[in-house]
Amino acid sequence: MKRFSTLCLIVALATFMVAGCDRYNKNKNGGPEADAGGAGKAAYSSKGDEGTVMGVVKFDGTPPTPKRIDMGADANCASVGGSTMTDDTVVTDGKLENVFVYVKGGPVDNFSFEPPSDAVTIDQQGCRYHPRVVGLQTGQTIRFTNSDPTTHNVHPTPKNNSEWNQSQSPNQGPIERKFNRAETLIPVKCNVHPWMKANVGVLGHPYFAVSGKDGSYSIKNLPPGSYTLVAWHETLGEKTQNITVGAKESKTQDFNYGANQAFVPTSLKVEAALILP
Amino acid sequence: MKEQRGNEVEGGPHRGVHWFAIILAGMTLVLLIAGALVTTKDAGDSVPDWPLSFGRWLIDSDYFVANVRYEYSHRFIAGVVGVTTFAFSVYACLSDRRRWFRRLAIILFVGVVAQALIGGVRVLFPTYKPFIAVPHALVAQSFFSAIIAMAVFTSKGWWERREVRPDVASPSLRRLSVVTVGAVLVQLVLGAGFRHQAFGIIPHILGAVAVTALVVWTALTVFRHHGADAFLKRPALLALTLLVAQVGLGIASYLARLASHDDPQPVEPLITLTALHLIVGAFTLATLVVLTLRSYRALAADPERARRAAEGPADSLRSPRGATV
Repeated sequence: MKRFSTLCLIVALATFMVAGCDRYNKNKNGGPEADAGGAGKAAYSSKGDEGTVMGVVKFDGTPPTPKRIDMGADANCASVGGSTMTDDTVVTDGKLENVFVYVKGGPVDNFSFEPPSDAVTIDQQGCRYHPRVVGLQTGQTIRFTNSDPTTHNVHPTPKNNSEWNQSQSPNQGPIERKFNRAETLIPVKCNVHPWMKANVGVLGHPYFAVSGKDGSYSIKNLPPGSYTLVAWHETLGEKTQNITVGAKESKTQDFNYGANQAFVPTSLKVEAALILP
Repeated sequence: MKEQRGNEVEGGPHRGVHWFAIILAGMTLVLLIAGALVTTKDAGDSVPDWPLSFGRWLIDSDYFVANVRYEYSHRFIAGVVGVTTFAFSVYACLSDRRRWFRRLAIILFVGVVAQALIGGVRVLFPTYKPFIAVPHALVAQSFFSAIIAMAVFTSKGWWERREVRPDVASPSLRRLSVVTVGAVLVQLVLGAGFRHQAFGIIPHILGAVAVTALVVWTALTVFRHHGADAFLKRPALLALTLLVAQVGLGIASYLARLASHDDPQPVEPLITLTALHLIVGAFTLATLVVLTLRSYRALAADPERARRAAEGPADSLRSPRGATV
């Protein structure tokens, strides 16, 4: 009996480890967007017939009331000034900000795109990330700066890319890193100040945008063809539209989010019954 | 120091080691609470280096803010517990001649060193967080139970002369309690896995059902067959009480987690409830370990052998299986 219970314990632990390693290997091998940077693909060269997709991300209904963030644990945060209210869902006059819009599939999958030489910068100010949502290409530099008189740690938690965690003191220079695999989107957090959250969309092409205060977005120089247009919001989830962009066409495609998005705990979702996604 | 004559031990409870073990258990409890707060606050990665913290052993007050307070305090308390465990192990080895007891004291120290290393690996390799944090939680709770066991082995009750009685239940109480301890350890893995996002909640709920059934079964076995023996009845009653509290805390913790899903940071009552859930879990495991040890001390499979073991002052200090106590 004692041997049996010991065996049961070993089997349970082994199952846990195998399941965990399997999950981890899946992540490391990358999903369908892995290596979308374009290894082995022809470099894209403009034919001059590219089009544009633009639109507005709208929000119907009453937006969630922002909650007050208790920054009392670090007096340096409040000393900088700025808002102490949550900003994960920002709606202004029915328009939704910080929605990451990008194209998936279509002709752009057949080409590689040289990453821009300029870095995308996220600044830490008032113990908040500015901006909260950014997009960049695989291989492009992302730069984190610290304008606060306190120490932060920058901790992206990707699934397809390597995770890293680095502290950044007030007088320290910028942290510069790259993500080599496409991933939408990578959460970035500060473990010192747990309310600090940002999201980084990494794609193998430059056809993405983040909606502004007026909810508008614009994706320019898009090669003609059929695509899936994806809108992603941190708390409201993902919406997709199939679009076809003709030569030199300017296409308008709006997205509508609503206040009635039901919350389903990740831990209770069917696919998470055994292993969380 | 206990006198040893051949394989026999003449002596009794050791007050010094016993109280040292209780103090160490109390310190471990504080460490468990600190660890629980680190997890709930997601503070584990707030200090990215290890074993130093921001390149130092003792950090400036400028760094000691927000979540760093929890992570650094956890490291500091762990250091104190580590040093105290070393002192305890040395003292226990010098004070007690029971070979297995001294080995256990050494294992305890090796365990605390291993635990520190697991904690360090957890910090240095954040990618593998769930798969390192879960063993970290398992070792932490096991360490607490082990130090409680050391306190039991040096207690007055353990050394009292007692009639070794037959383990008449089927399955025997001794085997049933071992299985129950094993089930609680598995449940601990499932709970820690949920906390560290390796599992969903469902495995932990199924584990709770299994553990509840086993604890109730074990307690009922004690009440039915050994209800008059306070040596066994007390830990059984305590385990049952802790189980009720633990199930209630588990449900409350999960509801609090759901209620605070859109909060910008962990808030009350989630923080207190999850910490209590962890601590009551540690006490439940330790209580069941005590019940298991006591059942092996007080009961035997063979009634005749048990009767012989009960005869004579020298044999009365032997466990039912013939090992010295």
